[in-house]
Amino acid sequence: MNQSVSINQLATGVPGLDAILGGGLPEFSFNLIVGPPGVGKTTLAHQLMFALATPERRALYFTVLGEPPLKMLRYQQQFTFFDVAKVNDTLRFVNLADEVASGRFDQVLARMVKEVEAFSPGLVFVDSFRSLLGESKTDALEQISPQAFIQHLGVHLSSWQATTFLIGEDPSQTEIHPVFTVADGLLDLRQSTYRNSMVRKIQVVKLRGQATSPGIHTFRIGGGGIEIFPAAAVPGGASPAPAAAAGPMARLAMGVPGLDAMLGGGLPSGYSLLVAGPSGSGKTVLATAFLAEGVRLGEPGVIVAFEQAPAQSWPRTIDGFVRAGQIGLINTRLLDLSIDEIVQRLIELIHRMRATRVVIDSLSGFELAVAPTFREDFRESLFRMVSVLSALGVTVLMTSELEDRYTDLRFSPYGSAFLTDAIIVQRYVELQGRLKRVMAVVKVRGSAHSDELRFYEITGEGILLGAPVTGYEGLLSGRPKPAQEPQR
Amino acid sequence: MAPPGRNDQRRLAIERRLAPRQGGDSGTGAVTDVSLRVWREVADTLAPMIGVGGVEAIFKRSLQLTTPSWPWLAPAGAPAEDEDPLASCQARLKVRSPAEAAEANVILLVSFTDLLVTMIGASLTDRLLGQIWALPISAPSEETRP
Repeated sequence: MNQSVSINQLATGVPGLDAILGGGLPEFSFNLIVGPPGVGKTTLAHQLMFALATPERRALYFTVLGEPPLKMLRYQQQFTFFDVAKVNDTLRFVNLADEVASGRFDQVLARMVKEVEAFSPGLVFVDSFRSLLGESKTDALEQISPQAFIQHLGVHLSSWQATTFLIGEDPSQTEIHPVFTVADGLLDLRQSTYRNSMVRKIQVVKLRGQATSPGIHTFRIGGGGIEIFPAAAVPGGASPAPAAAAGPMARLAMGVPGLDAMLGGGLPSGYSLLVAGPSGSGKTVLATAFLAEGVRLGEPGVIVAFEQAPAQSWPRTIDGFVRAGQIGLINTRLLDLSIDEIVQRLIELIHRMRATRVVIDSLSGFELAVAPTFREDFRESLFRMVSVLSALGVTVLMTSELEDRYTDLRFSPYGSAFLTDAIIVQRYVELQGRLKRVMAVVKVRGSAHSDELRFYEITGEGILLGAPVTGYEGLLSGRPKPAQEPQR
Repeated sequence: MAPPGRNDQRRLAIERRLAPRQGGDSGTGAVTDVSLRVWREVADTLAPMIGVGGVEAIFKRSLQLTTPSWPWLAPAGAPAEDEDPLASCQARLKVRSPAEAAEANVILLVSFTDLLVTMIGASLTDRLLGQIWALPISAPSEETRP
């Protein structure tokens, strides 16, 4: 018989936190929340407390010298999670400043024990232990050392049958504090400033007995409190690529007459398509047709737009679809995004809209919107994003601004061409003194497709595919000339 | 007529709580005894949460805001180190008429709660102190009503 103890996991109510904790917070665990001032430790603690505290599982929040409690109550109330009705009945704030000021740590501990025994909480927060340590050093009255105090506190916290949290700044790196060893969980909050953008990050450094999500995750503090964006993990293992799936592929209509035939019967479902072309070549028009066709066929879509003024630059159709709620829109001009945040929002929107078509317009705008600190890893993050979206089974169309170069044939500035399953390239060519647009399907993984270069025009109705370009060679050099042996 | 606002309700409740009992002693001593008891209840409720120092700081600030209209409320000199500001304030009130003492206490306590409201909001203030003056705490406060 299995007699091992089963640990109850508490759902923290902090978006994204349970995912990176590996399911939730172990009940009766003793946790540390550390990080520099202003990073959001107190906010995280309050958010946890208001979410977890119930009349059956009450919470006690000890404030020490760190933040004046009046200020803390004032600012924490700005968050929507702060429920005044819970104060004093379900959760109680206890200020220890007077005891700490006396420098008698035995008294501080005695007061805490007394309060815990009187209120019998299921959750205990101490904010912050760093100020406990800092306060003591000058005082000769102390009966036990601050180190011993923390040690005692740790022992008490573990024995109270309460899930407990010590909040504090990171003790100096040189001194490995014993409290780090005693703790069951350690949440490390950081903020990194790079050029003019600031990004908050969280890491579960340790959580006993749970498969936490390794790595550093980004988070944002908004009106609702903290929202964590778990780093998009590449789905591992043998999940079959859509191309490898047996049987005929389901295909999506592109909404541009003739283009489906060029793709070999439409874009295979679950594929990612890169539409690359120079400015004004009609990438967004193509993306719009793709979404509009989805709306027509009852296949909802989502667009992530990084354009400066989407309502102006889009064809009116897409604006109408967004307004009518037929297409989901993530439009952001924030310049400190992490890709994980976009992926998280995108996944939520895809689920909410039951979307099967996703447009990212454009990768160039995306790169600009991502915080500079993430730009170095942009390509890698893009790979993760495409993998996550592909695991969801949605079909993705990404546009990419491509400088027209006539000396080589490139599809993407990110080397992202290999990431995608299909590529359509758009080019300008000069023919008889006119600038003409041509388009070709470069690749459709695992499928036959046209190898034609086709003229096309952009009209009020969208993209109008024209005749195949015949009788010329050197088109991609930008200076075509009549072929030596013109076709009939 | 519009119903009384939350601030008016709070003020009326404070006045009621500080009023001497009907038929009882109505001298200044009785007024300051009741007042000191109420002040102690307020301090005992708030001190665990914001510290004794926090309560004293708000009290001193409300005293400072009130003294321009009531100069005799101001402490005579620098307070002794271990002086209890609540008790010494009531001691200064003892030499005034019962009506003055009662009114000054209402003004002080209203000023104190107003300060608290500006810092932590009406909902939380009434949540914490409402039961002292038997203010119905379930009523939504006008400051937090959308």
